[in-house]
Amino acid sequence: MLKKIEFSLEKLWSILISLKLAVMVIASLAITLATATVIESSYDSKTAQYYVYRASWFYGLLTLLGLNILAVALSRLPWKKKHIPFLMAHAGILMILTGSWLTYINGLDGSLRIAEGEVNSAVELDQHVLVFKRGEDIKTTPFEWLPEPATRNFKPINFDDFKVRVDRYVSDAEAKIQFVPSTDPTLKAAPAVQIKILGAPMGGAPELWLWAGDPGWASQKMGLARFLIRTEAQSDLSVNPESSGGTPEARFDFVVSKNGDLRFETTSIRGEKQTGKISLASLQNKEEPVIINPGWKMPIRVQVKRFVPSGVNLTEYVPVKIKPVGMGSAIPQPAIQISLIKNPASKLWLGLGDRADFTDVDGSKVSIGYFPKRVILPYGLRLRQFEMKNNPGTMDPAAYSSYVQVVDQIQKSESELNAIPTHHITMNEPMAERGYTFYQASYIPEAPRPTTTILSVNLDPGRALKYWGSILLILGSMSLYLSKVFQRKKVKEPVAV
Amino acid sequence: MKFLKGFRYAGVVLSLALMSFSFAEEQSSPHSLSGAFLNDLRLIPVQSGGRIKPFDEFARETILALTGSRSYQSFDPSEMLISMMVNPKAWSQEKVIRISIPEVNQQLLLDPSRKFFTLEELMKNNAFLQYAEGIRSNGMAAEQVTSTGVNAVSGKKDPRSEELKRVVDRVERFQGLVTGRLWAITPPKDKALDGAWSTLADAMASPSEQSLAVVGLLKSYLEGNVDEFKTSAAKVRHSIEDSMPGFEQQKSKLLAEVFYNRLRPFLQAMIFYLCAGLMWFFAGKHAFPRMMAKFLTLAAVMVHAIGFGLRCYVAGRPPVTNMYESIIWVSLGVMLFASLLFIKNRQVVLMGTATFLAGLALFAADSAPMVMDPTIRPLVPVLRSNYWLTIHVLTITISYGAFMLAMGISNVCLYFFTRAAKEGESTQISQRIALLNQLAYRALMFGTVLLAAGTILGGVWADYSWGRFWGWDPKEVWALIALLAYMAVLHGRYTGWVGKFAFPLWTVICFSTVVMAWYGVNFVLGVGLHSYGFSAGGQAFVTGFIALQALYCIYVAILHKKNRSLEAHA
Repeated sequence: MLKKIEFSLEKLWSILISLKLAVMVIASLAITLATATVIESSYDSKTAQYYVYRASWFYGLLTLLGLNILAVALSRLPWKKKHIPFLMAHAGILMILTGSWLTYINGLDGSLRIAEGEVNSAVELDQHVLVFKRGEDIKTTPFEWLPEPATRNFKPINFDDFKVRVDRYVSDAEAKIQFVPSTDPTLKAAPAVQIKILGAPMGGAPELWLWAGDPGWASQKMGLARFLIRTEAQSDLSVNPESSGGTPEARFDFVVSKNGDLRFETTSIRGEKQTGKISLASLQNKEEPVIINPGWKMPIRVQVKRFVPSGVNLTEYVPVKIKPVGMGSAIPQPAIQISLIKNPASKLWLGLGDRADFTDVDGSKVSIGYFPKRVILPYGLRLRQFEMKNNPGTMDPAAYSSYVQVVDQIQKSESELNAIPTHHITMNEPMAERGYTFYQASYIPEAPRPTTTILSVNLDPGRALKYWGSILLILGSMSLYLSKVFQRKKVKEPVAV
Repeated sequence: MKFLKGFRYAGVVLSLALMSFSFAEEQSSPHSLSGAFLNDLRLIPVQSGGRIKPFDEFARETILALTGSRSYQSFDPSEMLISMMVNPKAWSQEKVIRISIPEVNQQLLLDPSRKFFTLEELMKNNAFLQYAEGIRSNGMAAEQVTSTGVNAVSGKKDPRSEELKRVVDRVERFQGLVTGRLWAITPPKDKALDGAWSTLADAMASPSEQSLAVVGLLKSYLEGNVDEFKTSAAKVRHSIEDSMPGFEQQKSKLLAEVFYNRLRPFLQAMIFYLCAGLMWFFAGKHAFPRMMAKFLTLAAVMVHAIGFGLRCYVAGRPPVTNMYESIIWVSLGVMLFASLLFIKNRQVVLMGTATFLAGLALFAADSAPMVMDPTIRPLVPVLRSNYWLTIHVLTITISYGAFMLAMGISNVCLYFFTRAAKEGESTQISQRIALLNQLAYRALMFGTVLLAAGTILGGVWADYSWGRFWGWDPKEVWALIALLAYMAVLHGRYTGWVGKFAFPLWTVICFSTVVMAWYGVNFVLGVGLHSYGFSAGGQAFVTGFIALQALYCIYVAILHKKNRSLEAHA
């Protein structure tokens, strides 16, 4: 028995130290990586990360490479002087692999957004969590990004006596706004109308919802025209708090009477008025769209698509149609639909970054949030100023940088804050502070100038190992090459043809 | 004074005459004459594309953008630009605007067999006008800034709509030129280094010293007054130079750029290389042709290096940020490694292969200005003023040179295997094969050491400026794949599984991973952080090259196997 184990161990060892294994591992790594780049090209980098770069079998392959190198190096014992270049190069690779493993286990790589004049210390990671909250009771569960298709059976999540289930998951979602009739007395309901603007000068036919429940939703401006919805009870001014700023604008008002009738009032830029009734029966008829000519000079027509006399906002998330390529703040985020198992009627969509209240059958409430995982730094960073320079005579950014201060306590007066020394973080000059390094990564585009910076925050315990490994690898492979050149006997070279 | 003669005639039928003038100019007089009266014009500083450049370069870029080729008929670019501004009507009837994809012609209901169209034709084309309007209204909304400073939102690129966009851009450039919007002439009064200059069109509202001088220049051209033209060109040049902030630092760069443009060093180097390549291969043992080959090679390398140096000087950075620039550097690398190997092994075949490869590479770079943009552009923020970046990119791309050389030598080696299969294995052939194996191996070692170093330096740079050593970005992954592929071959050779025949064969095959890392990631995959180098085009050419190599490898392998089995039977 013991002999048998010894035999199989010996066999395992002979496999581990064989160069055949090395060539096979190297070749399969190359093929795997090539496949991963094709995945990335046809889907996106998150999908490639999920299936290959962060998959456990890929780590297994890298570990196998490391074991193979270690075994080969040990098999050359006792080491002689001629082994030095070989040992250096291979120890270098081992150190780089170990360093990467340390980074993976203990490292941190996130981003920190700060607006000018504000202090922030919450670093957002590329991992997602569900946060349950009832009173003081808080529970956090990881809920990582998954690639399509998302028709999976997610395990129910328990929180106190709530059982929560993720019904649907969209990996790259965009919000689809809609207003639906509601009977739930706890929600604020108000008339809503969905319109489509035909003949807009900018091309396309924009669709929008107007909802009388909120001033921000009730009035929307498109070019020179303002569209709004109000009930008869609301005065004209109360729904239109934004003044037009003196510039003349055309108006298209939907007015809902007490008994639920819908009519429209239009005003042209020169003040010509026009009114009419929209019959609810004609809205039901899908074949003949209801199109209103507001009688303006611009060739605009308004199609009334839906009217909900008493509606609530129900935003759904659908997969994005066109995926943007590259990195930036507009990368589509995932969204989930959550329901309580005991009360399936309490069902809501949460986009990443959203929080909502769910009500159980017994009326008890739980707040569920879907957020990026956060790490709070032991100090805060305050952005004094974000600076951007363009290439001469163009709008292309040439350089952008942030002036930041390290703030230890939040409660500081303005003058105290201003006394803290300022660091300048630019594209290629990061700031190091107590183990963390801050890099200028990006910014949020705004007119007339961007004022929110995005710094990337990094903590890398494997850094030193990776650097020393790199130096060893380069020196080792160079001397390996030189030793080959000098070792080899000169081949008998024929005279040139 | 052909210029004047031509011009009086031009007064009658301006557009026709302009062309005849130009032909006469080209045929009957040397370049120096036209150079003499265009000298000041060429040197007028212009702010365009984010940097200050001489008018000559501005004109070349504009013409490249319009026509997709380096020149239009035989016009001097600077003169052509002035002529277009003076006589927009005649030029709008000239076929100068290129549409490179026939599908676009079909979409615009234009003759699909034509490549060039007049401005007038396009401006009368309703389909085109609608499309242009669509781009103008939607184009801005799609813009998004990323950390690399590149417009990233575009989805998958559709070649037809990309080309349509370019056509719209060409038309806008033409219009911008004749309306004076394109030519920035007046530096800002506050002498801010990065301030936007106001254009000729702006000067219509508030004339400046420079705009008055430019009007004088255009007038003298219209009147065909050579002396006046010369003096007003000098006036424009000096008035801009005087009001330009930091002109003293720019002065020699402007001169160098005009010189670089006139010299076309890489075109000359290419011709020298190809001649040298032929000489090396056909020289045999004859002393004189070998001497000639040596001199031609030396001349080629010198012109090549001078051009490289000039470009470095003008751009203020090493030229390795796009395909065109990297080909120049890689082909120089091929020569460097060949020369290093040549010191130890004085083999004709080595230099022959190297010069041929360098010549072909430069030819490829020079022949497709639409795919490989030869213009010098400012760097995107992330690439700026970084020591590590420069070292990283230079190291990694020069390793491609070593691999290219190894690939060339291996191809020659495979050729000797076909000879061995046909003629039977003589000692001479097997000696050659052993030697070529050795040379390819040496070149490969140069390549792998440099590629490993370059990839790691890339990690160091990424760590320094982004905070991560390695992020599985496609460009770095493909560099790693190439490294792994060559590593597998080298380890296989070490154990003896990869023999004298398999080694050159695998070296040739593995070069396709370099092609992928170098070209494929930017032109085919088109994803990742290295997006500042992304472009399109040349797929047919590269796929053709790979297919040809694959066929050659299969052919040689079959031949070799047959030969082996025959030998075994015998």
